[in-house]
Amino acid sequence: MKIKFTYLIISGLIALLAIPSRNTMEDIEILTTNTEYVAGKTIVLKFSTTNDEKTSLYLSNSYGTTIIKPIIDSDFLNFKIPELLSNKTGVVHWKLLSKESLSGKFYIRPEQKTETIETYLGPPSIGAGGSDFSMLVVIPTDIYDNPLADSTKITVKHQFLENQINDIIIMKNRIAYKNIYSEKKIGRILVSSECLELNSKESTLNVMPGIPTDFSISFQRNHEYSDGNQITTFSTSIIKDTYGNIVSDGTFVNFFITNTLKNILKTSGTTVNGIAVAKMIHPDHKENWSVKAFIEGMAESNVIELSYKSIISDFEVRFTENNRTITVGPLKSFMNQMVPDGLEVLLSVYDGNQILKILSKNSSKGFTTFNLDNNTFPSKSYTLKIKTAKIEKTFPNTKL
Amino acid sequence: MKEKTNKYLIVALLIGIAFHGTSIFFTLETTYDALIHLFFAEHYAGNWFEPWNDKWYTGFTVMSYPPLVHQSIAALSYVGGLKFGMFTVALISIILFITGVYRFSLLITSNKTAAGYAAILAVFSSSFVETLHIFGQLPSIIGISVLMHSLPEIYLWIKTGRYKYLFTSLSLIAVTVTSHHVTPIFGMIFFIFPLIGMVIMDVSREKVDSAKAITFNVFLTSFLQLFRRIVSFGMLSLAIIVGCLLPYWINSKANPITQVPIPHGSRDNFLEITSSGLVFFLIPWGVLLILLPYIFYRYYCKRYLFFGLSITILTVLGTGGTTPIPRMFLGETAFNILTLDRFTLWASIMSLPLFGEFVYRFVDGDLKDLIQKKFGAIYHRLIGGILAGLFLFMTIFTMSLSYFRPSQPQKIKMLPIINFLNQDQHDLWRYMTLGFGDQMAWLSAQTNAMSVDGNYHSARRLPELTTRPIERLENSKFKGVEGVGSLQQFLTTPEKYNFKYIFSNDKFYDPILYFCGWQRLRQLENGIQVWEKLNVPPVSTILPKDDVAKWQKILWGIMPFITVIIAFILNIQMFIVNALKTKAKAIPDFLKFKNNYTKFSIGVLKITHIWSIILAISVFYGVYIFYVKNDSHHSPENAILTYYDALDFKEYEKAYDLINPESKLPMDQYMLEISVTDGLLSSYAKLDAIETIVLSKTDSLATVKVNTKWITPLEKINKTDYKYLVKHKNKWYVQPEEIGSDLPPDQLYSNNITKYFNQGRRRITTEQTHHEDILKQPNLEILSAKLVKHNNSYALIGEVQNIDNVPADVVLKGTLYNNDDKELATYNAKYHIKHKLMPKEVSSFKINFEGIAWSKIQDSIPKTFNPDEFTPIEFEEQPTKFNLQIAGNVSNSDLYKGATLSDLDISEDLIKGKLFNSGIEEVTIPQLLFTYYDENKNMLWVDHQFISEGIRQQRQQTFEYPVLKNDDITLINEDMKNCYVNGLPNKSISKKVVPNRINNQTNTVLQPIINANYSFIKIEINTYIGSPN
Repeated sequence: MKIKFTYLIISGLIALLAIPSRNTMEDIEILTTNTEYVAGKTIVLKFSTTNDEKTSLYLSNSYGTTIIKPIIDSDFLNFKIPELLSNKTGVVHWKLLSKESLSGKFYIRPEQKTETIETYLGPPSIGAGGSDFSMLVVIPTDIYDNPLADSTKITVKHQFLENQINDIIIMKNRIAYKNIYSEKKIGRILVSSECLELNSKESTLNVMPGIPTDFSISFQRNHEYSDGNQITTFSTSIIKDTYGNIVSDGTFVNFFITNTLKNILKTSGTTVNGIAVAKMIHPDHKENWSVKAFIEGMAESNVIELSYKSIISDFEVRFTENNRTITVGPLKSFMNQMVPDGLEVLLSVYDGNQILKILSKNSSKGFTTFNLDNNTFPSKSYTLKIKTAKIEKTFPNTKL
Repeated sequence: MKEKTNKYLIVALLIGIAFHGTSIFFTLETTYDALIHLFFAEHYAGNWFEPWNDKWYTGFTVMSYPPLVHQSIAALSYVGGLKFGMFTVALISIILFITGVYRFSLLITSNKTAAGYAAILAVFSSSFVETLHIFGQLPSIIGISVLMHSLPEIYLWIKTGRYKYLFTSLSLIAVTVTSHHVTPIFGMIFFIFPLIGMVIMDVSREKVDSAKAITFNVFLTSFLQLFRRIVSFGMLSLAIIVGCLLPYWINSKANPITQVPIPHGSRDNFLEITSSGLVFFLIPWGVLLILLPYIFYRYYCKRYLFFGLSITILTVLGTGGTTPIPRMFLGETAFNILTLDRFTLWASIMSLPLFGEFVYRFVDGDLKDLIQKKFGAIYHRLIGGILAGLFLFMTIFTMSLSYFRPSQPQKIKMLPIINFLNQDQHDLWRYMTLGFGDQMAWLSAQTNAMSVDGNYHSARRLPELTTRPIERLENSKFKGVEGVGSLQQFLTTPEKYNFKYIFSNDKFYDPILYFCGWQRLRQLENGIQVWEKLNVPPVSTILPKDDVAKWQKILWGIMPFITVIIAFILNIQMFIVNALKTKAKAIPDFLKFKNNYTKFSIGVLKITHIWSIILAISVFYGVYIFYVKNDSHHSPENAILTYYDALDFKEYEKAYDLINPESKLPMDQYMLEISVTDGLLSSYAKLDAIETIVLSKTDSLATVKVNTKWITPLEKINKTDYKYLVKHKNKWYVQPEEIGSDLPPDQLYSNNITKYFNQGRRRITTEQTHHEDILKQPNLEILSAKLVKHNNSYALIGEVQNIDNVPADVVLKGTLYNNDDKELATYNAKYHIKHKLMPKEVSSFKINFEGIAWSKIQDSIPKTFNPDEFTPIEFEEQPTKFNLQIAGNVSNSDLYKGATLSDLDISEDLIKGKLFNSGIEEVTIPQLLFTYYDENKNMLWVDHQFISEGIRQQRQQTFEYPVLKNDDITLINEDMKNCYVNGLPNKSISKKVVPNRINNQTNTVLQPIINANYSFIKIEINTYIGSPN
């Protein structure tokens, strides 16, 4: 009996404890059935309740999470979703922070009305030829800066030369994109886009020339004499790429000049309207040049040959003041005129076979004068060699 | 007894404030240190409790300098700005100094008139004038002044044992230590110890009848009697010195100064380097030099015996490196860290009381009577006039020193620079100044932007800086090899420091900036040239710092002012009592020990006379030597030295005076000939050493071989000239040289070139540049790249081409790895590349892996200058792989391509040739890049040469290049899979942009050479245009 009585009491207590807990569980349930909203519209989640318990609602979307308090309306709990969340598209998860948790989610989709269009185009310049491209990314957004829904149609328009092309692309994963390929001509492609009757601003895409092709070169000079005082100008033909476009201004062209001694001289030019011009000073002695130009790794020119005639076949040397003053000249040019100032004259002083000093002077008014002072060259016999325009004269055993 | 105000002290204060108070406005800002203190003050004004400062040296702590003066300026700056604060503190320091000298003199001489004289003399004393108006050492002045104020209090505490004096003296010691830490430490030894000795003497004197009766025993008993007071004072002041600046001591323990000592003029041998002798010995001593016998005689009398020892040590230490004694006395380390000029300053200050005493005795004391009796009144007046004249001369000379020999560049208007830094977010990068002198501190104080450099070398942290004995990168040209060597490492790898802008006030650095890949932006209104480096990321928003405990920050922030307030309360009430004279005050004890000013020692007078004659003779001898050395026409050597000196300093008129007048060269022709020469040597070189060898000399003719060494920013140039001199009317003259008579072909000619302009941001907005306005990075291609070992150093060599349609600035960064992919070294291309490439242009490149030069302190630093000094990095392991990153950015400057190779003459040893300038700009510095190839035309090595003369338009310039010989070249790796362009693999870019590349196309035009290692060579030309039109 005793055992039965105890059992009764215990089971009675259990029943008493169990009843109210079941009651609260049944108390709260969601009344709102809508699970899809439009961004910017007021969203209220309604729950039924029987007691006055102030349960909070935990909300989470891709921007973050928050907890809100309800507005109690007799038997209902109304949760007004804050604008911060209701203006953003995407899934919102909610969870009621009551003893027995209740959770769910709803979806906010954008309003299908374009407010702004974000466009990105890059790179801003591409090469001609049809293989290079630039990508246009379009993101139409609604008034709350939400990208429009996937599958929204966007018209991408681009203009190049006479052509104007419209393409329809479809939004996927909240963006839409299009690769815009270059054509064979250079120029400027203007790109814009349209979505639900709203047009974007204009973007610019420059199509630059491609790889240059072989070209020819020519030269121009005032005369054919090697007076060291004129400029020979080399120029290229108009350099074009594979598609016939003139290469971009500033393209660097290297001119290599191989001279009689097989030494490689060098000049360079950059193109303006496809033509590169390089300059070189005339040699000061008889010379044959063969010239070839390169755009390294990409293009080259034909070889042209130039020859320069000597202007001086012979010159006079006068010794005065105990051979210490040496006057070279008159140095006469091709019409027997005096050579222009600046022709280099070299005087090498040898003691026997040993070179003591090389004196270098530029001619002035057709003459060059060397003074050998007795500080540097004590009285003695020296061998003197005088060289100009690659013509050398030797004066052995000159007594100073 | 009613105490009278000392009228001499009042006069001294009035004159002192009027004289220094007006002149500081013209001198203080051009001193060495004042602006640094201003910068620290600006830091406290902004962040009183934050000791970390990011503006200098990639961050440093201001706990490395006592804060009182800086915080005072900062506090005053809230009232009237930083400069107001600085000048106010300077005025306070003047008052403190004059009154300090008065009190110290009164203590020593026990005679108010003598002390008054000393105060007046202190106003004009050349050491004070120098410290304030040339060095600008405000904390040091305030420190020593407050120390002098504390001396009478210390005396009275030890003598009387009244606690009042203990507190006043300790409070003043506390102020001293918070304003300058070195002063109380050495002040303890050199001022306070002798003072204690003097107190013991006085106490002993009271015990016996005469000074003579003081025996050692008496002295010892007095010492023991006072021992408790002395020790209590000593321990307490030590506690104060440590306690008040505790964060400082913690910081110096945590960050010990491990840097290489920076040379200081005060450590020079004054006889060798006479300018240091002048600044650090002659000026601070001034007229006191004449009185040295008197000063020593007086300080070695029994009462002052310990002062005598102290001043002797100070005097000897102040002589720097002239004698070996200071080095032996201080030890090698202390000798190299301490600046020894402070010892001379203290010695001269210690002499001031006796100087006052001497003048008092000379003007109306026993000395006057003695001289008048012995030599007559006229002589007395004459001597007085001479002494006064010399004294004033020294003062005026010191004041005007910075006027005649400016230690700082002209005052720079900072506003345009500050505006520049505030524009366009330029302050997001670090900057550096060049040639600003100490004014860089004033710039730093005014801007938020950070500098890689700084002006407080004890706080430097980067090993690139601490391992060099240079104060600042800013003035590195004066620091020879270490200076420019250090600078070029910063210029070559600026990304490491987010270092993008340079403000240059010195044309000297232009070439090194250009050849390290920097480009000119524009000249600001104040004439400062702005340089920038492309492809440098901005400073990150969060920067590392060494944080310290909060209690340290609080202690540091409030302690200095607390010490001042306590000192003020304790001492000023005494002052007020004194000033109001409300109650008769007991005469301080030290006034009881009167000196006998009735019988001036004849011996001292005699010795002073002899000493003066010795001094006069040495002065005249010095002047004579100076004259002989500087009479430019005296000998051929002198003429040559003066001539080169004049050219070096661009004093062309002076140079012209040395040209043989018989050569009939008109002045304007000479000037014209000089003005048309341009180039590395004539525009950017500084004469470093000159040696003249007279090859032959007759009565009227001389041939001199002149070996000159020139420092340029790029390399050291050794030059040998042969000069001919003639003697004309007993004077030697230099024979002028003939100039080239080459005539350019065309008078007027045209050139069509492509120029570029980049709009930057097209919208006027403070926001970040709109993405549409950001230019695409130009496509580059690495044509070849390989890792080679050349002799003992590793290098990356190769070729790079701009394959885009726009000109590009190229930045190359190479990294070496070992077999286990461990990174060993990383460095950028420096001189061996054309940094600017036109579309389709190719440049060879070489990346040298440079270590931080002399990174081990024990490495001996070469004595000679070599800006081209290259320290190969020491590899612990063998590098086997490399990674090469190339970045291109659109650049529209420095695209001149007008220089051509117009002649070549190749021999086994030498490549001789001519460069021709076919364009329309004058080439200031041509650079040749030589690429060496083997017999199969495989690239092996890249070398370069700067041509020291420029090339004018349509002129030619010869060059001679010695071919490299006996090189040991090993190819280590030529795998190009880790080459990247703008972050993308080189291979994919190459495939896309130039799919049909003709490989080795220009191999047919490589120059053959005869050489054991190399078979072919390629010559490329790079040009620096000094002043683009």
